[in-house]
Amino acid sequence: MTHKHKTKSIGYDKVAYFFILPFFLIFTYFYFIPTFKVIMDSFTNYDMFTTRDFIGLKNYIELFKDDIFIKSMGNTFIYTIFTLFPTLIIGLLIALLANSTIIKTKICRTLIFMPHVVSMVAVSMIWIFLYDPTNGVFNQILKALGLPTFDFLMDPNMALPCLIVMGIWKGVGYNMIIFLSGLKSIPEHYYEAAKLDGSSSINTFFKITLPLLSPTTSFLLITGLIGSFNVFDQVNVMTNGGPLYRTTTIVHQIYTAGFSEYKLGYASAMSVILLIIIVIITVINFKLTQPKGE
Amino acid sequence: MKSYHLQKTCNKICMKTIFILIALIVVFPFVIMVLTALKSNQEITQGLSAFFPKKLLFSNFIEAMKKGDWVRYFINTAIITVVTVSLSLVINSLAGYAFARMRFRGKNTLFYCAMVGMMLPMQVIMIPVFLQIKEIPLLGGNDIWGNGGIGLVNNYAGVILPLIAHPFGVFLCRQFFMGFPKELDEAAKIDGCSPLQIYLRLYLPMGVPIFATLGLLKFVDTWNQYTWPLLVFNDPKMNTVQLALNAFKGETTTEWNYLMAATILIILPILILFIFLQKYFVQGIATTGMKD
Repeated sequence: MTHKHKTKSIGYDKVAYFFILPFFLIFTYFYFIPTFKVIMDSFTNYDMFTTRDFIGLKNYIELFKDDIFIKSMGNTFIYTIFTLFPTLIIGLLIALLANSTIIKTKICRTLIFMPHVVSMVAVSMIWIFLYDPTNGVFNQILKALGLPTFDFLMDPNMALPCLIVMGIWKGVGYNMIIFLSGLKSIPEHYYEAAKLDGSSSINTFFKITLPLLSPTTSFLLITGLIGSFNVFDQVNVMTNGGPLYRTTTIVHQIYTAGFSEYKLGYASAMSVILLIIIVIITVINFKLTQPKGE
Repeated sequence: MKSYHLQKTCNKICMKTIFILIALIVVFPFVIMVLTALKSNQEITQGLSAFFPKKLLFSNFIEAMKKGDWVRYFINTAIITVVTVSLSLVINSLAGYAFARMRFRGKNTLFYCAMVGMMLPMQVIMIPVFLQIKEIPLLGGNDIWGNGGIGLVNNYAGVILPLIAHPFGVFLCRQFFMGFPKELDEAAKIDGCSPLQIYLRLYLPMGVPIFATLGLLKFVDTWNQYTWPLLVFNDPKMNTVQLALNAFKGETTTEWNYLMAATILIILPILILFIFLQKYFVQGIATTGMKD
């Protein structure tokens, strides 16, 4: 019944294109074209309704004079640095603890991983309550200790650190799981050899564990960097960028400019800046993880 | 010798205590959530003196669900999630199969193109993707150039379509299928099976483990989606549970017990999945880390 083309002589299956077609249709329409479109639109004054004229580099020039956008870049960098590195370090430490043979508390592992699977909106709700100025647990503890209370999310100096603390809390479990699978893939005999040589456990960690874990670490670093640079959900839900733009981030600015002010050309220029940052991160990572030598 | 032993047990207890302590700190916000959801409003304002609710008010869950059309929000989210997971499994595994087993011109180039997409977060292109949804040709009142109508705005498909092409899914299916013996294909070919039949009869049934893992990750990702529904839906009737929860916060600033009850109900499906399928979860997450 099946209509068989004798393509074997050439060795190509033309049918393959039908197999990849659905994927590439969607992929082209929702990834490729948008990537070009965002670059094109960044040179226009598009406002979704009337105009879409070419205005050259005007958007970019304006961006670098835009205090709020520059602030959002600063906030994003601060958020990234202070979320990513603590998450990595704490994640690794917990993984080391969990990996030691004497600890058999699987339920604890489950609990530590739990925040990762819960949606950002849901955890934001929980933390908004924890940070609440009157009924929140943190303030009630402060009050019980006779200390002054804070309106955490409305305090310009505290709002961003509050988001960072929540970000670390949510990310630690994921980092732990990935580090654990990295640790499990290190062959046991390395450790046995180190033991025979009388290496101290700290020495073993820095000389064996950490170097052999570097593919895992660089994976977590790169995905963590990209993820943190795109921080948006919790900002939009918890602070909406405030107070005094202290928590606004690049993606939050893109969203605000694009969907509440309808300055799509301008928002596209912001997106291109973010795109460039992500490309730079990816290229650096690619260069660093490329096998050296030859 | 004895002191060495003593030190070892001491170490063991110490490490275990630290580990349990960390777990308790991590779980603390969830404990607060559950306790608050079961308290009366008055108890919440009493602070630490009423840390545990005197009477467990399960009625809070019902009251919370009465504030808004929650049944509809759950149905919306369930439709989006189920359709997204199914479609993404189909299209990504088909592509993964072709990349693993078939020979065709441009195979490597196309594969690398897809993999580059893996690095590109959707937030970066959220403006043009929204425009692609709004200006989709011939749908939602649009003409062939994508003008005139609203496209897929306020339509389930507007959220589903951008989420189904999942380069990582293609990659994972390809890796998995490449592990199958090639003789299988050849035997099936000799029996007169077309590539589609080989895919349906051999690869689909044998790929179940990888589909389970991928499907689970996609399920959680879609259920937890906030950004896409926020952009695509502006009709409250289309709200997903995540959007509805955020809207709920705005309406009830003081009724924390209802807000926490709603939060619990929203994360419950994910938590149940997580608890029962934990093994697949961890496996899936761990393979994500192994992709280099």
